[in-house]
Amino acid sequence: MDPNLVSVRYMVDDVDAALAFYMTHLGFKPLSNAAPAFADITRGNLRLLLSGRTSSAGRPMPDGRQPGPGGWNRIHLIVSDIGSEVERLRGEGVKFRNDVVKGPGGSQVLIEDPSGNPIELFQPAGQ
Amino acid sequence: MSADPLDALRLPIVPVEPRSEFAEALLRRLQSADQPQRRTTPTIRYFVQDLEAAVAFYRQHLGFEEEMRPSPVFAMLYRGDLRLLLSVPGTHPGGHALADGTLPSPGGWNRILIQTADLDATIASLRRSGVHFRDDRPRGLGVRQVLLEDPSGNPIELFEPAAGYHDRAL
Repeated sequence: MDPNLVSVRYMVDDVDAALAFYMTHLGFKPLSNAAPAFADITRGNLRLLLSGRTSSAGRPMPDGRQPGPGGWNRIHLIVSDIGSEVERLRGEGVKFRNDVVKGPGGSQVLIEDPSGNPIELFQPAGQ
Repeated sequence: MSADPLDALRLPIVPVEPRSEFAEALLRRLQSADQPQRRTTPTIRYFVQDLEAAVAFYRQHLGFEEEMRPSPVFAMLYRGDLRLLLSVPGTHPGGHALADGTLPSPGGWNRILIQTADLDATIASLRRSGVHFRDDRPRGLGVRQVLLEDPSGNPIELFEPAAGYHDRAL
């Protein structure tokens, strides 16, 4: 494995469904597959770890809290034409958390994987 | 003729058998240098309540460096090949409020992973610095991992790879 890969872990309800989603809609490639507990995938030098409830990362915390999907922290994928990406992903039935928003640095939109984890698509201003 | 005083500094030439993985890694790097679009910087956005405290935390405890902080509500940090965006949620521009007014918040379980060569020593050092752990019992098969939190409660995973971790085929 390339030691320069940057790793991010997402908790998911269904590892197989997550694998299919990221590979079909966002161009990720498979790295390893230990579904239903765990799989990891890459896109460029981003490595995304998909952890199910039965993986070591899915076990409860010492205080009893149960790790799960969701929240707002997310991977941020740069696209060159956010309008056409939104059109493509809507056509493929992907769920959106919001519509395209213009911020100081560019335009962004949030989609969700099948477990409800956010993914940010971002088009830098001036592109 | 007197001996060359520099002789003492000259290292013997030792033949080294070329290792194929070194050559392959070098080749990949050279190819990606020609195709920068194929090697975009992996980027993650975290939401934080206090930007100043967050930037200080990531710099002091986890070896991040500041790339830019163009406003009081946004900073861009980097660590190796990882870029971390820190955003303060709110109704201000760049506050990431949804159309229905919902504001993003810190926390959750999705997180960046940071590799350490000695997990136990790193845990001990971070504990001494007062860093809060969500789970400081190393767990995992092969790879040992723990979860700590930034001042806003965002998780960060520290892991120690097992032998052979980086030898997995792509």
